[in-house]
Amino acid sequence: MAHPVQLGLQDATSPVMEELITFHDQALMAMFLISFLILYALSSTLTTKLTNTNITDAQEMETIWTILPAVILILIALPSLRILYMTDEINNPSFTIKSIGHQWYWTYEYTDYGGLIFNSYMLPPLFLNPGDLRLLEVDNRVVLPIEAPVRMMITSQDVLHSWTIPTLGLKTDAVPGRLNQTVFTATRPGVYYGQCSEICGANHSFMPIVAELIPLKIFEMGPVFTL
Amino acid sequence: MLRQILSLSKKHPSLMPLFVFIGTGATGATLYLLRLALFSPDVCWDRNNPEPWNKLGPNDQYKFYSVNVDYNKLKKERPDF
Repeated sequence: MAHPVQLGLQDATSPVMEELITFHDQALMAMFLISFLILYALSSTLTTKLTNTNITDAQEMETIWTILPAVILILIALPSLRILYMTDEINNPSFTIKSIGHQWYWTYEYTDYGGLIFNSYMLPPLFLNPGDLRLLEVDNRVVLPIEAPVRMMITSQDVLHSWTIPTLGLKTDAVPGRLNQTVFTATRPGVYYGQCSEICGANHSFMPIVAELIPLKIFEMGPVFTL
Repeated sequence: MLRQILSLSKKHPSLMPLFVFIGTGATGATLYLLRLALFSPDVCWDRNNPEPWNKLGPNDQYKFYSVNVDYNKLKKERPDF
């Protein structure tokens, strides 16, 4: 989950998110360098005593400042497209879970091995235990295994919602009448939070998603199937 | 327009990089749009083949660039129809 006054992305819990963070850092570094160069050029233009009102053209400089930005943009675009296509890959998931958005809660269906279906409502602030996170905790978390590709099939029963877990690099719209698919592989156990990311009415801010990722051996023993 | 580009480049050769990059970008965008129009399984031109999105093969690659998955080498685990 995010901590107060957080500026950057949350730590990655899946390989795709690691790639996204690396790309974000590289692109941001390029942007900072260019911005500081422009800031320096601007300030030196405004404070210099060397002025000449008869300059007409500067072909060499113009050539350089056409080619260099184009090259920089290509160097940013190629990794970006690679990651874009990587997020689309379905690498033989071992487990499929359905997530259905309602106003204003989520329903999770584990129908691969048996028929577990449950709702996940936000815990109202009056029901929080000490140490719980306000507006982020739910009564029933989605329990998932780590280190196994998990396929999430996401849809909605009424209006648009969006199923999001930033630390896994997931954001998939829940569209009524449509089934969207996303696949992820978590690398470490823990409890990860996300919030509905498509405006869906009065309680849009109050339908969070909590994924509890546990080791595969414990998940296989089946505690999640006893509600 | 091509003649105008060539005549301008002779007078101001420093304009060449601009034409190269803009030309590459526009050509690339048009080619990708043509690829989507002609080869995307979501698009249908042929009245005799009305639903190409229902006739996809399991070992074909439909995306433009595949990073990790080699679609030709995927195991085919489902029955033939």
